[in-house]
This record gives sequence, C-alpha cells and structure tokens, in this order.
Amino acid sequence: MSPVLEIRNLSVALPRGGAGLVKVLEDFSLAIAPGEMLGLVGESGSGKTIAALSIMRLLPPGAALSGEIRLGGQNLAQASEAEMRRVRGKRIGMVFQNPLAALNPSRSVAAQIAEAWRVHEGGSARAARARALDLLGEVGIPNPAARLDDYPHQFSGGMRQRVMIAMALACAPQLLIADEPSTGLDPLVAAQIMALITRLRRERDMAVLFVTHDLSVVRDHADSIHVLYAGRSAEWGGARDFFAQPRHPYSEALLGAVPRLGVARLRTIPGALPEPEARPPGCRFAPRCAYVRPDCTATDPPPLRAGGTHAACLYPLSAAPPAEPAPDLPAGERRYLPLLQARALGVRYPGHAAPALQGVSLELGRGECLGIVGASGSGKSTLGRAILQMQPHTGQVTLNGQDVTALRGAALRGWRRRLQVVFQDPRESMNPRMRVGEIIAEPLVLQGQTARAANAARVAELLNNVGLSAEMASRFPATLSGGQAQRVAIARALAAQPELIVLDEPTSALDVSTQAMLLNLLKALGRRLGLSYILISHDFAVVSYMADRIAVLREGQVVETGPVARLISAPRDAYTAALVGAARR
Amino acid sequence: MISMILRRAASSSLSVFVLVTLVFFMAHLTPGGPAYSILGQKATLASVAQVNARLGLDQPLLKQYGIWWWHLAHGQLGYSYLLNRPVGALLWSYERNTLVFYSAAITLSTALAILLGLAQGVWFGRWPARLIGAFQLGFYAAPPFFVAAMLVLWFAVQLGWLPASGITDLRSAHPGLGAYAAHLVLPVTTVTLLTVSPLSRYFGEAVHEELGKDYVRTARAKGVGFLRILFAHVLRNALRPLVTMLGLSFPYIFTGGVIVESVFNYPGLGWLMWRSALAQDYPVLIAIVLIIGLLTVIGNLLADLVNGLLDPRASYE
Repeated sequence: MSPVLEIRNLSVALPRGGAGLVKVLEDFSLAIAPGEMLGLVGESGSGKTIAALSIMRLLPPGAALSGEIRLGGQNLAQASEAEMRRVRGKRIGMVFQNPLAALNPSRSVAAQIAEAWRVHEGGSARAARARALDLLGEVGIPNPAARLDDYPHQFSGGMRQRVMIAMALACAPQLLIADEPSTGLDPLVAAQIMALITRLRRERDMAVLFVTHDLSVVRDHADSIHVLYAGRSAEWGGARDFFAQPRHPYSEALLGAVPRLGVARLRTIPGALPEPEARPPGCRFAPRCAYVRPDCTATDPPPLRAGGTHAACLYPLSAAPPAEPAPDLPAGERRYLPLLQARALGVRYPGHAAPALQGVSLELGRGECLGIVGASGSGKSTLGRAILQMQPHTGQVTLNGQDVTALRGAALRGWRRRLQVVFQDPRESMNPRMRVGEIIAEPLVLQGQTARAANAARVAELLNNVGLSAEMASRFPATLSGGQAQRVAIARALAAQPELIVLDEPTSALDVSTQAMLLNLLKALGRRLGLSYILISHDFAVVSYMADRIAVLREGQVVETGPVARLISAPRDAYTAALVGAARR
Repeated sequence: MISMILRRAASSSLSVFVLVTLVFFMAHLTPGGPAYSILGQKATLASVAQVNARLGLDQPLLKQYGIWWWHLAHGQLGYSYLLNRPVGALLWSYERNTLVFYSAAITLSTALAILLGLAQGVWFGRWPARLIGAFQLGFYAAPPFFVAAMLVLWFAVQLGWLPASGITDLRSAHPGLGAYAAHLVLPVTTVTLLTVSPLSRYFGEAVHEELGKDYVRTARAKGVGFLRILFAHVLRNALRPLVTMLGLSFPYIFTGGVIVESVFNYPGLGWLMWRSALAQDYPVLIAIVLIIGLLTVIGNLLADLVNGLLDPRASYE
C-alpha cells in the first residue's frame, strides 16, 4: 500500500536569539500508511513538535526547511502558502495539546467546527451547522444538539478535546496529526480520548501521526514507533518489535523511566538533553548512554536494522534486557510513629453549592509517604492547602499531637516552617528577580540566620543534596530547565528542615526522564532525612511508585485508603478499580 | 445582569457622594467668592454682604451643604450666580455642543485606533509598526494646548482655510450646517490626534498578543486565511482592552477637554467648567463635577457590559 505521508530527509533550522539559524531537526524520514497510527516519541527539545508543524508548514517565521514531505503526489515542503491552505484542515487535520487555549474562547463550538468545513467545502451556514452536529455526535459529545452553541469554557477538559478532534475531522482528512492530545488530562479521560482516536482511525481508515513524550501512552494503540532524540531519529519500526526489544539504549532508558504499577526502581538517565546549539559530535546520546564506547562520539551512527526495528546506534542492544528484580512490595504493613492527623476536614468555597472537601480524615506516620489520588476537581489540591493551613477549613489538623487549627500569628508561622510545599510549576512559584541562592536561603533568613557565609555554605550543601552544582546559586529562575527548577524548589523546601513536605503534582509538567530523576531523588531524600511526604497527583502510577499508602479522593471525599499493594491487587471501591485499570503497567 | 448593575450602582453612589462633598467644601473654602465676580473687584464690603445674603452664602457652610442635597432631591441643581439661569438648562445648552464635538472626535479616533492598531499588531516589530509607534509616542507626549495652537496657526491664520474659534459664524443670520461643521474640524482634529495614540497603542499590543495565541495556530491548521483569522477570530478578542479604555474616556465625551475647548473658545461643558471655577460659580461647578462622577461610573459599567458581550466567559460576578 502506498503511504499517505512520506517524509524524506527533512531538516529544519530555527532562528534562535542572536545565534542565527540552529538546526533543531535533522535527516528525519518516515512513512505512514492509510489507517496506520505512528507514535512519534521524544522528550521536550527532541524536535517532535517541530516535525509535526513542518508537515503543516506552520513553523515560526524565519524557519528554514529542506527535504521532502510527500502527501499523495504533492511535495508540501515546496508548496506555496495558498496551496498549503487547501491542505490544512482538508487533507490533514491537526489536534493540539491544551484545547482550552487552542480553541477560540469567544466563538461557539458550532461556529468553530463549521468554519473548518466551510473554508474548504463552502455551502450554506445551515449545512455546515448540520455537519458540526454530526461530528459532535461522532466524537461522543452527549446530547450534541443542545451543546452546539456552547463556548469552549463550558466543556470539561476531555469534552473540549473531543470538540478539537471533531474540528480536525470536519473535512474527513487522510491524515490526523495529534500533538499530545491526552497530556494534561486525567488518566481515565486520557484513556477515553485514546480509545476515541483509535476508533475513528479504524472507521475512517485514517492515518494518525501521534506525537507524545510518553511511550506508554502509545503502547497499546500505535502500529509503529519513531523515537527522536535531540533532533535526530534514534529508533523506528513496528510497535510490537519495539516494545518487545528496544534496540537503541535511549529507547530502553526511556521505557525504564516511565513509572508503572509494580515497578520498584525507575531508570534515571544521567545528564540533561543537550541544547540545540551545543549538541555533541557523533551519537547525540553518547554522553548519557550507559553502554557508550569510545568510537560512539567519533562518527554519526548509521541506521542499523536490528531485529524488528532500525536503530541509529553502532552497538544496538541485542540481549533481552536484564529481568527486572521482583518488586519489593512491603511484606506486611510497616509501622510508623504518628506525625500528622487530620480529622473531618471540610472546605466550602463561596458561591459553590457542593463542598470542595467533606469529612476527610487522614493520618500520616513519621517517614511515611501518603499519596492522594483523584481526578481534577476532586479536591486534592484543596486538601493539601487545608493541611498546610493556607485555606480556611473546618475540622482539625494535629501535628505531633498539637492542634494547629487553633494556632495564630507567630505560633502559626513557626509551625509552618515544619511543613513545606512544592508546587507543580516551580518557576511560577519563584520570584524571577531573586537568584537561586537567595531563593533557597530565604527560609534560613526568615528563621533569623542572617550570617552570609554560613547561609552560602548551607545553600551549597542543599544544592548538592538535590544533585545540582553550587554554581547554580548565582543563576536566575528563568535560566533553569523545568527539572532544575523543581530541584531548586525542593532545596528551598529542605532549607527549613521540615518534618513534612506536601508535593502538589511535582512532576506533571516534566518530561519522563526528568520525572524519573526527580521521583528517585525525592525517594532517596525521604529515606536519608526521615522526611514524610504527602504526594498529590492525578497519576496513579507515579503515586504508587512513591507512596506507602494511597488515599483515593473523589468529589471531595475519600473513597478508599490503603497500602499501595493492597489497593492495586484488591481495590474495594469501583472508582479505585477504574483508576488502577487506567494506570500504566 | 440586572443584579450586577444594581450592585455596581450601590457601590458607586458612595464614591460619587464623596466626590461631590469634597468639591463642595473645597470650592466654598477658597477665599474670595462669587460676589466679587458679580460686583467686580472694587465692590464695597456692604454690597458684598448684601449679595451674599441674597444668594444664601451667609448661612453656615453645613446648612448650605444640606440645602444643596435638599434641592437635588427635588430635582433642582440651583441657579447660576453669574448668568442667573437655572443650572440644569444651562448645562444642557452647553452639553449639546460638547456632545457633538466629542462624539465626532471619539468615533474618529476609535476608527483610526482600530486601523492603526491592526497594522501595528500584524507588522509588530517591523518597520510599519515602528513608524506608527514613533508617531504615537510623539502625539502622546505633545501637550494639547500646543497642538491646538499649532493647528490654529497653520490652518486658520496662515492658510485661512478654517475658522479658528467659536462654534459658528456670528456674522451670518442663519448659519448652515456647513458653518458648524467647519468650526468643528480643528478641535476634533486636535482631540483625535491626542486620543488616538494611547487607544491604538493598547489595541496594537492586544492584536499582537492575540495573534500569538494557540487558537490562531488552530485556525491556521484548519486552513483559514489570514484576513479571516484577523477579522473573525482575533479582532473580537483584542477589542476588550480598547473597550475598557473607551469606557474610562466616556466622561470626556460629556465634559470635554477643558484646555481644548478654551483654546478654541468652543462653548462646551469644559469651557463652562473653566469659567465657573474662575468666577466661583459654585452651583454650576458642583453640578458639572456631579455629572463627571456619574459618567465615570456609567462609562465603566458600559465597558464591562460590552466586554461581557465580547467575552462569553465573563460572568458578571
């Protein structure tokens, strides 16, 4: 069968600051057949989104593109803007991440879907509206006729992504490009979106280019996989062969870095992704590769056929990966000295009928990690804030037997020091005008330690603790990568020598390998310093990797609490069972 | 929406009350008084006292203040000391002129601001936008009296194309519409030049910002052409800051620019306010301040309502 899309030797260079054009994607080739789903996988900076945007020729201004992008008989790399307008939306549909931003907030969904149809097919407004209605029904919006005139903000996250998909399908394209369509959604909703895309491509015999940073997302759905690293293809081929035996060390490392149920240890990839300006010679993964040999850095590795896939590696892995050690799930329940107790916590936001939190009781032992899992809107962040006394609530919180709900003023501030928090977006939670050293030293200064030399030494020690070099202290937050910024946030939390750290979605904005590094770091720190954690996340697999016990939150109430192993093997609540079912394994 | 309007009216009435009170006492506590404007600077103390007694200005200040509210409650704004006419009718005869003048100016500058802002947003950072930006800064920095005086010098004095001041030609018995229009050209041009700068600058920034948003990329990915993206998607979202600014400039439409109206000797409300302040004609002055206060409140409210129509996410909470 002739492919729908065939890309040959595509290279893209983007203008970056004063550095002129920098190559972000090199010698990229792939082919997708009708009805095939290809997973284009890579971490941020790998060039995967640039590859997807190149096909649509939606690159930022000033981008230089060479090579061939064949859609049918047409070379899109050479097409004019007018020709591209007839391709976009008509022959290729595209779905983006974060549909709330990707849809126009001030136009109804009917208008936006109908526009995609009318731009190409013309026809009356009524016909286009009827088409929009059909499409909304096809993507599974309940009661579509009543929702035609609603605006994007009136839909939930998953429904919004369905609207986005309906829009991309308006003209029945041959190819659908989906750029991280399920990222940021709750796992149950993400699974539904994946199932929807799978169903649609079967029904329509439509090719799908699925761009994602998370290999596990495409594991069950993709026919073939293409892994990018630092602007170059690392490995590509059939999905079954790929997952059975990844040949490129990067693929193997990436697979090992994804938290899955029952995994005892995550692989950490040392080092960081190189910046496009400073990519190493030879194999780009060589500096971080566990199997590196001297000649890896000398030449560009040619694509070698190894087993079922191609790998751009001089020494593709051949042996089956070492068997994973049996997960050391705790045999019995460990006993912890009680640290924190929350009784009958309730929070009601003004203007909302339903309480955000109702009758939540928890306890946490010294050195224990308690996971709190729930969908967005389940009240898990509210619970974290209530425990931290950052949110007025009813009920009682005691730390070491002391009731903290009654504390005021200086006593409350003194107590706060013992509880620290790390948020999802670390750069948002740092003052951009303070240097990293000042940010970390702030809790020390607040405790009255103002000796500069002593603080600098302590900052260096803390940076070292979280795996950063002491030179970082003079940097500004804007110059840090996501993983580095989150490590600085952890160092700041540690500076106050807390007994408990509340981690509110600490890794959900990070790449898979960065997430693995951070989770391992938190685990090691917890053990070494005897810290207790409350880990809040919508990702069951991440929580099960970190936590000793998990509390499942739904609509402001705890539906089930229990040790991780028990929750996975024998969930008592149907909702817990659904979460476990949707989690990666 | 009705409850939102009522709530806003309730909270704003306090600020209007404070404003009027402040102006009442500031005006009455300044030395001199309207008696001197009526009788002249060489008036005797006895005749001044007589006039003050007739106008009720010899009463305690708090009582005068109470009387003013009492009259307002009965729909009376008092009599102008100087012109000896009821304030309400006086304001309306001047207000008409200002309304015509400023409606023309605001309409013109809004239309221009939208055009310039679109150009600036589309060519952001390139030479057409930089050129527009240079003019914006120039006119933003220029003082109104200077621009007005220059326009008078060029077009009225040197070229003699347009009248320099007034509202119509006093020499003709039945002035036509053309005469009124000709007298409007220079003041309207002055106000437009001065207001278009901030309006277009904010709008241009908004257009540039909206063009960078994800939904624009989505529209391009649907195959929508650039002009359609600009007018069907971006325009409506970018208009919001412009509407907010227009709401804030709403009081000007009614009070007029004091300076511009005085330079062109244009009998509008701004000119009347300036004259009343100089003559310490308290009833007129306070009535104008009351109107400015009310209009500021109404302008903000209107801007919020229009923005609510532009943005379906606004919930009037």
